[in-house]
Amino acid sequence: MRYVFLSALIAFSALAQDSKLPEEKELDVVDFQNVKDVLKKDGLLQEVQRKKTEVVKIKEIRGEEEKLRYIWPTEEEFWPLSAELWLVKQAPLLRWDFDRPDYGLQESFSTILRSVGMLQKRFRLLAIDSPAPGHLGLPWKDEEYCLLFSVPFVRSMDLSKLEISLLLLEDVLRLQEGWLKDYSRPAKLKEVVGQNFMGSKPDLTPMHEVGKAYTRFLAEKGFSFQQQFQITKKMDALLKPHPELWNSYVRLLGKIDRLVKGNPAFADYLKLYPSPEMQIRWLAPEEKVP
Amino acid sequence: MKMLWPLLIFCSLAMAQDKPVGVFYFIPLLGHVHQSPARTSPSLTTIQCGHPLKVIEDSKVVIGEDWAYVAVADWKGFVWKKHLKASRPDCFQARYPKFFDALSLDLSELYYWGRLHDHWEEGVARP
Repeated sequence: MRYVFLSALIAFSALAQDSKLPEEKELDVVDFQNVKDVLKKDGLLQEVQRKKTEVVKIKEIRGEEEKLRYIWPTEEEFWPLSAELWLVKQAPLLRWDFDRPDYGLQESFSTILRSVGMLQKRFRLLAIDSPAPGHLGLPWKDEEYCLLFSVPFVRSMDLSKLEISLLLLEDVLRLQEGWLKDYSRPAKLKEVVGQNFMGSKPDLTPMHEVGKAYTRFLAEKGFSFQQQFQITKKMDALLKPHPELWNSYVRLLGKIDRLVKGNPAFADYLKLYPSPEMQIRWLAPEEKVP
Repeated sequence: MKMLWPLLIFCSLAMAQDKPVGVFYFIPLLGHVHQSPARTSPSLTTIQCGHPLKVIEDSKVVIGEDWAYVAVADWKGFVWKKHLKASRPDCFQARYPKFFDALSLDLSELYYWGRLHDHWEEGVARP
């Protein structure tokens, strides 16, 4: 019975369709209101709207992503990057791309840092084959030290790994004071770090200025007597509880003093670190008046 | 069947030579695939942070524990193991692509920057 009823219904609707004139059918097709109604009924207009909103959102996200590609690095990232760039540009002069023996400094320097209570501090060492600078700390990250040492310099004095580590400890203290960073900090740095430069070229002058400042500092400026005095006194205080380290430090300064006075190849050392002779005096116990 | 034996032996030898260990990613900003496992050995090719490297094992290549034997493009060479990571590293070039491009490093600078990462000796004062 149900099948009969359904068949009748289908036949009737087919007849009803056929009863329409071809022009009427055509009108149905071109009747946009009718099409619109069908679209509305099917939810297609909402779908179109949803798609449009989605496209706008995707474009916004892509725009933001594109914008992020034009960011100047942060100050924390600027210092290691500019130090590396300087080292790369100075490679022919500093000659750090050379074969050298393993001095076992990682372990020795870690031990020294631990002894003086500088725990969890990270460091990176680079040996150079140039006689100058004898040693140097370059501004890096806050919790990490970048330290250079000259193989000809340490070899000329036949320094032990303990003595080299003490030399590097001095540089750590200088880095903590931030003297080289303050001297070489580009004037525009604050303006550019973390800024977006979309639509223009990034201002790279701070990168180049830092490199020039490092070179100038090494060749002309150097550390002052006052700064050397401060470092020597700090080393004195740090090493006092470890007499064997303190004695090694005094011996080390004696070796440097003899080297820079006797070997013209290292005479420029005094421009950068004045003066080992004075440092030994500053370390000498004060004479008591009887 | 007799003809197949040499082929089978050849295939098994070829398979024994290059055993893939996995794909690892290069961590430093720039670096080199070396001709031999030594920091001053000549560079076969310069690579950037995030570069995928196929670490392989070869029974004929014996190296210390600090180095990995890798295949990259047409090259087979050595990189420091400390410079490899199993997942994609957070690279400076990826975070600041336009800034890095603007540095306009020439070939010699790219080369030396890669060499620099071979020479750093890194450490930490652990308690």
